[in-house]
Amino acid sequence: MSIFIEQFLQALTSGIQLGCIYGLMCVGLAFIFGIMGVINFAQADFMMVGMYLVLAIVGSLLASSFLGPVAPFLAAFLIAPLMFAIGYLLHRWLIVRTTGLRIANQIEAHQAQLILTLGVALILQNGALILLGSAPASIISPLSYSAWEIPLLFDDFSALFINKARTYDAIICVAVTLALYWLIRSTRVGKSLRASADNPTAAIYMGIDVDRAHRIAFGLGTAIAGVAGGLIVLYYPVQPLVGFDFLIIMYAGVVLGGLGSLIGAFWGGFVIALVQQLATLVLPLQLQNATVFIVFLLVLLLRPQGFFGRHVERA
Amino acid sequence: MMALNGTPAADTPLLEVRTLSVAYGRKAVALNAVNLTVPKAGVVALLGANGAGKTTLIRTVSGLIRLHNGAITGGEVLLEGKSIAGLSADRIVRLGMGQVPEGRLVFKNLTVEENLQVGGAILPRATLAERLDAVYDLFPRLAERKDQAAGLMSGGEQQMLALGRALAASPRVLLIDELSLGLAPLIVGAIYQQLKKIREHFGTALLIVEQNARLALGICDYAYVLERGEIVLAGPAELVAASERMHESYLGARAERQAAAG
Ligand SMILES: Nc1ncnc2c1ncn2[C@@H]1O[C@H](COP(=O)(O)OP(=O)(O)OP(=O)(O)O)[C@@H](O)[C@H]1O
Ligand SMILES: [Mg+2]
Repeated sequence: MSIFIEQFLQALTSGIQLGCIYGLMCVGLAFIFGIMGVINFAQADFMMVGMYLVLAIVGSLLASSFLGPVAPFLAAFLIAPLMFAIGYLLHRWLIVRTTGLRIANQIEAHQAQLILTLGVALILQNGALILLGSAPASIISPLSYSAWEIPLLFDDFSALFINKARTYDAIICVAVTLALYWLIRSTRVGKSLRASADNPTAAIYMGIDVDRAHRIAFGLGTAIAGVAGGLIVLYYPVQPLVGFDFLIIMYAGVVLGGLGSLIGAFWGGFVIALVQQLATLVLPLQLQNATVFIVFLLVLLLRPQGFFGRHVERA
Repeated sequence: MMALNGTPAADTPLLEVRTLSVAYGRKAVALNAVNLTVPKAGVVALLGANGAGKTTLIRTVSGLIRLHNGAITGGEVLLEGKSIAGLSADRIVRLGMGQVPEGRLVFKNLTVEENLQVGGAILPRATLAERLDAVYDLFPRLAERKDQAAGLMSGGEQQMLALGRALAASPRVLLIDELSLGLAPLIVGAIYQQLKKIREHFGTALLIVEQNARLALGICDYAYVLERGEIVLAGPAELVAASERMHESYLGARAERQAAAG
């Protein structure tokens, strides 16, 4: 009995820690979809890019000897502006051709966006395969090995181990999500982004450069993917096709949360991680992802608009 | 064009449209050599039936015609004497052209206050706060509903919000397209009263596009009548209201006669 409680608490802890990272992953995807209506198939591969970038920074001995155990966390932040620039320019050169008001037929536009972002994903995957090879790589921080040990009260030898690296990861993910939420809710830029999403025509009438708003949104979404990747690389080895492992989780999380809602997307990712980790208690590891989908389908059956889905319109 | 006596103020007008021609696609001519002038702090009405080209004129003036696959084929648009014909829509807004678009187009998922803030986003922060207070003074109803999502407001309230949102940017001229569309006459009347106040309080010039000629003639100084892309009548409001042509086609004389005969 006590063994089971210990295992349960341990799985719950990993679920919460991983949940915050999944949450941030989903937030990035939901953000791009919410602002520009684009389903970005390259989102998971931007994560892969972020993972490799952090690997490169930390791998250069200089950084880790200077910064010690926190190097990977700092690196994840360092790459954010770079990832933003990548997303921003990618939108300016490519994505913009399939979005915005100039596109007369929005349905055809969606097809074009799909194919375009899928193309970007393939280029990133295969580019990484050519440049970096298919062997998985990983980094570790000394913090990956250390944990807080919390004794459990019911006997003398049971204890809960809370991994330090994963805890810092989780805290950063929550902080980034809250920062983005604040940006979109309360700042001028955020309001003009929301206005562009709400009614692009009216946004132009108000003097907002909607294409620029979309560039910013795409850049931010890309940066978030990069940061999430940069953080998860501490406990997930990276290889060029690692995006596939995250892709499904991201889509399921965003749909669970109610399309377009940031906080909803976070909870969507969070719940998926929780289910995944708790399922390991009772089911073989191979069925981990199956349980995710069962929960996903159940939620969609009972609440098709997702946890947070809503629409403001007069009845 | 039949010009009635009297022209708007003689010095450089705020907004001037000179022999403007616009076409959609290859040959669908929507405007043909249109002349129109809005003086500083003046109220000008642009009247005309469905499909006359009123919205096309507004789109052209505000830099949005290309978005609708239209193009200027001749003439000029001048804001305070400077050509704005090739500029992007957001540039034109920054130069002082405010928009109350056809169909209101409020930001439904944003609150009333956020709508106003987005409208005034081109102003410096400090000025914006003062400006919003002035807008709330003019439309107390908006102040009451500050934190409500705009999409949940009634049609009339949304129209007030669309007006307030445009005013928030301190425009020098407001382009108001078909304000009365789909609203109850009582509400339309109330909003038209507010339009008068806008000129008094803010000194904003108004270009009012309306199908309902009687309403617009009630508050404008000067009116233009557009038919199939051409100005067929222009003059001070009283003269236009009194003109034979106006009575025949727009003010319902013909309809009344037909009703009497039938
Ligand atoms: N995007 C477009 N492409 C092609 N033709 C257009 C387009 N928009 C308008 N037109 C045509 O241009 C002419 C003028 O239309 P416009 O919308 O300017 O009229 P309006 O006076 O605003 O009418 P309403 O009172 O119904 O709003 C019409 O014949 C219309 O069919
Ligand atoms: Mg119209």
